[in-house]
Amino acid sequence: MGSIKIRSRQLEGYTEIKLLITHPMENGRNRHPITGALIPAHFIRELVIELNGRSIMTAELGGSLSMNPFFTFRLKHRERGDRLQVHWIDNLELSDSAEYLFESDD
Amino acid sequence: MRRRGFLQFIFRAAAGALTSVLFAEKSLADWPEEHFSKGDFTTHFQQLFGTRTIIDSEAIQLMLPEIAENGAVVPITISSDLADIQRLYIWVEKNPTPLAAEIAFDASLAVYLTARIKMAESCHVIVIAQQGERLLRNQRWVKVMQGGCGTG
Repeated sequence: MGSIKIRSRQLEGYTEIKLLITHPMENGRNRHPITGALIPAHFIRELVIELNGRSIMTAELGGSLSMNPFFTFRLKHRERGDRLQVHWIDNLELSDSAEYLFESDD
Repeated sequence: MRRRGFLQFIFRAAAGALTSVLFAEKSLADWPEEHFSKGDFTTHFQQLFGTRTIIDSEAIQLMLPEIAENGAVVPITISSDLADIQRLYIWVEKNPTPLAAEIAFDASLAVYLTARIKMAESCHVIVIAQQGERLLRNQRWVKVMQGGCGTG
C-alpha cells in the first residue's frame, strides 16, 4: 500500500526517526461538506515499531490524531544493518507495513 | 458506484490477506476500546487511573502552541530526561473521545515524541507519564481558534 514513509537522521547521541503515514484518521463525527452525511470512522488503532524484529514501541490511538499522522522518535543506539519495521492496523482492519534499513554507521 | 464498491471489496480482501501474513501476531483485540470510547474526560481519566496519586512534574516537558489556528492539526512535543518512563498518555480534555493516544515504549527509545493531534475546542492537553508505579503529569492550555468540523 505504501502508506508509510520513514526517514532518519543521525544526530549527536541518537538517531531521529520520522514517520509519516497516509491515512484519513476520521473519527466518525465529521460530516461530508456537500452531502452532509456522516463520514464513517476510519482511523489507525495500533502502530507498532520494531527494531530487528523486536517491538520497541506500541501506540494505541483514538480518532483524535490528525489526518496523515506524523511522528518523531529518537532511537538511542543503532548499528549499520539494523532494520526498523513499522506496522499499523486500523478500525476497518486494513493495515500496512514498511521496513527501513540503516545503511550507515551511527 | 458499483465499481467503487467492487474495488473497495477487492482492496480490503487483499489488505486482509496481507494483514494475516505480515501482521499475524498482532490483533485488534489488544486495542483497549474502553479507553478510547466517547465520554467526558473526568470519567475516563478516573476509569484508567482510579485513585492513584498523580504527581505534577515539569520534568515531563511539553511543547504545544499557546494558540492553535486550526484545531485539526495541533503539533505536540513530549520529552523528558527522566529514565524508566514506560508509557505516555495524551489526553485532550474537551474532545468527545478525550484519550488521543497511549504509547508504550522500551529503553531503546529516548523519551521524545512529536505528533499532531486534533482539538475540538480550547482546553487543556494533559500528558501522563508512567514511571514504574508512579504517574507524572504535565499539562498546557491551548486556545483553539478554529475547532468544530474536521477536528476533535
